[in-house]
Amino acid sequence: MIQPQTYLNVADNSGARELMCIRVIGASNRRYAHIGDVIVAVIKEAVPNTPLERSEVITAVIVSTRKELKCDNGMIIRYDDNATVVIDQEGNPKGTRIFGAIARELRQLNFTKIVSLAPEVL
Amino acid sequence: MRLEKCWFCSSTVYPGHGIQFVRNDAKIFRFCRSKCHKNFKMKRNPRKVKWTKAYRRLHGKDMTQDSTFEFERKRNRPERYDRNLAENTLKAIKKIDKIISDRASDHIKNRLKTGKVQRQKEARKQLELGIHLVKAPLALAQDSSLCLPKIKVNVSQAQTEENQPMED
Repeated sequence: MIQPQTYLNVADNSGARELMCIRVIGASNRRYAHIGDVIVAVIKEAVPNTPLERSEVITAVIVSTRKELKCDNGMIIRYDDNATVVIDQEGNPKGTRIFGAIARELRQLNFTKIVSLAPEVL
Repeated sequence: MRLEKCWFCSSTVYPGHGIQFVRNDAKIFRFCRSKCHKNFKMKRNPRKVKWTKAYRRLHGKDMTQDSTFEFERKRNRPERYDRNLAENTLKAIKKIDKIISDRASDHIKNRLKTGKVQRQKEARKQLELGIHLVKAPLALAQDSSLCLPKIKVNVSQAQTEENQPMED
């Protein structure tokens, strides 16, 4: 349940460390974003000497939330933190490595590149 | 489909039940119900919580080593479907289940045997010491001071006629 003003971790090596959600993409008055939703975020903390800088507005996809994700097969998965992967307009990740476990639902949502880079998919 | 074990209480988690928690180091904790999940969030150690299998095995309440546990080992290689194999496996599961439960109840019975023997010994000792407090039933019947006297009560016919108008 990510909404504007939510701080999120970044699960890749794109250069950003922490993002703050500004907008949930999908509908005009959409309240919350879950795993697999795209958000617009501003970079609050960045790794020095990388192409991404602090207070830059970027798009990202949510890969893990503390709010439970209800899978189609009846499984309920909860992660330990809210994490995102920085993407460009097409949906390709800006970084080259992904950290942490990724939910399988991302594959159905056409984020295949992220899923293939992930060290663990569940 | 896979039957998992609850991380906290070690009971089986069937599909569609419970919650899985993924920690940041990608370790997955599966819970069978919210009771176990809430205990985990409270950071309780299952080895110290009395009703969990972990506690019971650690303190010798349930059996720990048995050859039947080999059947429940986790296998990561899926078996090719063979109708005969599936049929035999289902039959074997039933039989192994019965054997496991019998052995577990035997273990518990043996564990409780020493307590039972102890209690019987104590009861026998108490009887020996306090035999003077126990009176034989024949003596009770003969000695009239020990029993309450029997009183005879006459029920008259007139009383039943009076009650009838009230019931109408």
